[in-house]
Amino acid sequence: MDVFGSFALILAFVCALYAFGGGIAAIITRHPLLIKSARQSGLATCGLIFVSTLSLVYLFFSDDYSVAYVVSHSNRDLSTFFKVAALWSGQEGSLLFWSFLLAIYVFSVLFVYRNKNGELMPYVGVILAGVQLFFLTISNFVASPFKALGVANANGVFDFVARADGNGLNPVLQYPEMVIHPPNLYSGYTGFTIPFAFALAALLARYPGEKWIHLTRKWTMIAWCFQSMGILLGAHWAYAVLGWGGYWGWDPVENASLLPWLTGTAFLHSVMMQEKRGMMKVWNVWLVFLTFMLCILGTLLTRSGVVSSVHAFAQSSIGNWFVGFLCIVLGVCLAAYFKNRDYLKSENQLDSLVSRESSFLFNNLVLLVACVAVLSGTLFPVFSEWFTGSRISVGAPFFNKVNIPLGLLLLFLTGVGPLLAWRKTSAESLLRNFKWPSILGVVSGVIGFAFGFREMFSLICLVLCVFVAGTIVQEFYRGAKVVRVRTGADWLRSCVDLTLRNTRRYGGYVVHFGMVMIFIGLAGQAFNKEVEKEMPVGSTVKIRNYELLLQSMDQKQEKNYVADRMILEVLRDNKPVMMLYPERRNFPTNQESGTMVAIYSTLREDLYVVYAGINPATNLPTIHAFINPLVKWVWWGGMVVVMGTIVALLPNRAAAVVLAKSEAAVSTPELGRMRPAQIALREGHD
Amino acid sequence: MVFLGVVMLTAPGAPRMAADQNDRAHQIGAKLKCMCGGCDQSAAKCYHVGGQYSGPCDVAKQEIKQIDDQIAQGKSDEQALQAMIAEYGPLAYVEPPKSGFGLVAWLMPVLYLLAGTALVVLIMKRWRKRPAAVHSATGAGAVGGIHLTPELLERAREQARRETED
Repeated sequence: MDVFGSFALILAFVCALYAFGGGIAAIITRHPLLIKSARQSGLATCGLIFVSTLSLVYLFFSDDYSVAYVVSHSNRDLSTFFKVAALWSGQEGSLLFWSFLLAIYVFSVLFVYRNKNGELMPYVGVILAGVQLFFLTISNFVASPFKALGVANANGVFDFVARADGNGLNPVLQYPEMVIHPPNLYSGYTGFTIPFAFALAALLARYPGEKWIHLTRKWTMIAWCFQSMGILLGAHWAYAVLGWGGYWGWDPVENASLLPWLTGTAFLHSVMMQEKRGMMKVWNVWLVFLTFMLCILGTLLTRSGVVSSVHAFAQSSIGNWFVGFLCIVLGVCLAAYFKNRDYLKSENQLDSLVSRESSFLFNNLVLLVACVAVLSGTLFPVFSEWFTGSRISVGAPFFNKVNIPLGLLLLFLTGVGPLLAWRKTSAESLLRNFKWPSILGVVSGVIGFAFGFREMFSLICLVLCVFVAGTIVQEFYRGAKVVRVRTGADWLRSCVDLTLRNTRRYGGYVVHFGMVMIFIGLAGQAFNKEVEKEMPVGSTVKIRNYELLLQSMDQKQEKNYVADRMILEVLRDNKPVMMLYPERRNFPTNQESGTMVAIYSTLREDLYVVYAGINPATNLPTIHAFINPLVKWVWWGGMVVVMGTIVALLPNRAAAVVLAKSEAAVSTPELGRMRPAQIALREGHD
Repeated sequence: MVFLGVVMLTAPGAPRMAADQNDRAHQIGAKLKCMCGGCDQSAAKCYHVGGQYSGPCDVAKQEIKQIDDQIAQGKSDEQALQAMIAEYGPLAYVEPPKSGFGLVAWLMPVLYLLAGTALVVLIMKRWRKRPAAVHSATGAGAVGGIHLTPELLERAREQARRETED
């Protein structure tokens, strides 16, 4: 099966090469058969990548320990569930998996648009094939997942060997979220290839208008949604498994996943400027180029070990290939831009500083500043080593200090932006839209302060969260009121009706509401508390209003590991609440151990308990307990964000009342006397 | 739900009592680098993921213990921190120092924000000056009486549609 898999992989390489080279020839000659053959070669590339990936999965399932990659990432006792995850737990496998996910996108795009957009698709096909070609080169010639296990004998001849069992999967990866986190994140990373390819293709082909944006809107949102989910699942995994009490440590690899998310978010907003007003064309094209390049840079940071990272399981010298690829991409983008930049002329002017346009500009500014600040902070230790010879550390406190104010600014814009009208917003409309949300925000701030709430940033965050939530609720209320008057339905049904009629706008509000919930969760961090203590059986440890009683210790034998457990009774305000069982797992196969955190989670706070091992000096078990307020809001907020994105992806349901043509005819005389700018502006509407 | 959040945020449990020793040690440890050499984590948060072992790093644990000892001697947070810096050198801070080359790290984000804002202001100025072809053409038509060609009307309608649809 390994021969089959590697054969499919090399065939995929050949097909991609044809799709790329043949595609370029097709663009030059415009020969219909050549165009068709290049497209079909692209489809075949994808099919072969699927086959190759499935063969690797099969090798894991059939416990084939003659393949080096299987030996280092699996063993017989590993459950089937985690054998799937073993596919992407190492370098070679995750690169193949990357190609696999990209192939899903590429296949869908080539198939869905097979008879459409004839002018654009050959370019798109070539660009996608080019990206695939890079990853296939790596998987075939640099880091092949199908390499057989072998040793060179005395004569220098390679002897194949097979092992009876494998080394097992890294224990920190043996956790259900590790099975869904990487696919989500990778789907996000690879998904941005699609808008990138369309943007570059439109620029190269001088494809008229905003069509590439319409075509890629859904693809971009899908990629963005996967990436958001991937980041949050990773954070939750870090929280639930690693046992340091937090979920975001500003580790280089975490930062690498955040960078394209920030530019991707900026892109999702700024494309609206181009769609509605024909502005920011150059910016949008560069934003999507940048997002794609940051995805590649993210892989480079993860894989190369340039910056030291906790994600040590994925390092090698493969980075040079990525640097090369990044340079090529940048070169192509620059060349395309300078050749065809006249095609990106803006159509409209800015009418007022208080308008949707300027709010989008500031939204993009903040997101980009955050992105560049995180990037330079991540790379700063490397710079400092170059310039001064000593490595200056840039840890979590730095990133927090820099990004908290930026995050709050962004939160503010989340509330303000959607309620400003395009072009110009009048003072009356400002008052009408922001009076109640502002009052609510300020009142909540005053109440908070009166109750002894003194952490400045958390207080500001609270005020802004209430303000933004207020604007969103107000929008739903106003919209639903209109629907109610017309249909007589109840509030809930009116809200649903309203949302389905304009999924993009109201889905967007739901996403914003999810972000508010996440910010509430983040604000809770200021009130974290922790205690670490050695405790004999029968003793208790107090943290805030909780008390933990160590009833006993026991040991649990599982198929793949042995677990030492603490059996703890939790008392809150002296009343028993529940039992918690934090564990330390020892994996005999690879002589590794890992923690398994026990969490008692409520909307108000998490009680987070880690069994930190036995102190050899005293022979006493050590407990590390944390109170982390409001963490649950982050996870729930994430779910709301995903729900909102799904809503925004739904097609609009046709409105009950359709403006008939006759109405336009009736209004024609007035139209003449009006300035067109005033014709159809609904203030506060998208 | 947000209001629930407000209530919960505004009543963060029991009033903050004098943090016990260990909590203090971790808070100080969060400002110091773990000196194990393999990470950029803080002494309080070094958990060595993905290596041979995950869990508090031994070097980091030792540092926390040292801070604990300093606190036990009755030192203040700042004194304990300085004692650690005296031992490990100025590079033991987990965030860059606000002097020398470390200052560059702190100035960079400020510089980005200033440069970005300047750029946005500049762009806005240019946009406001730019004569918009569509706008002025139709605008002139409106001011100068009713001279409305079908194509002009179609253009205005198209523009209105684009700006109001979602």
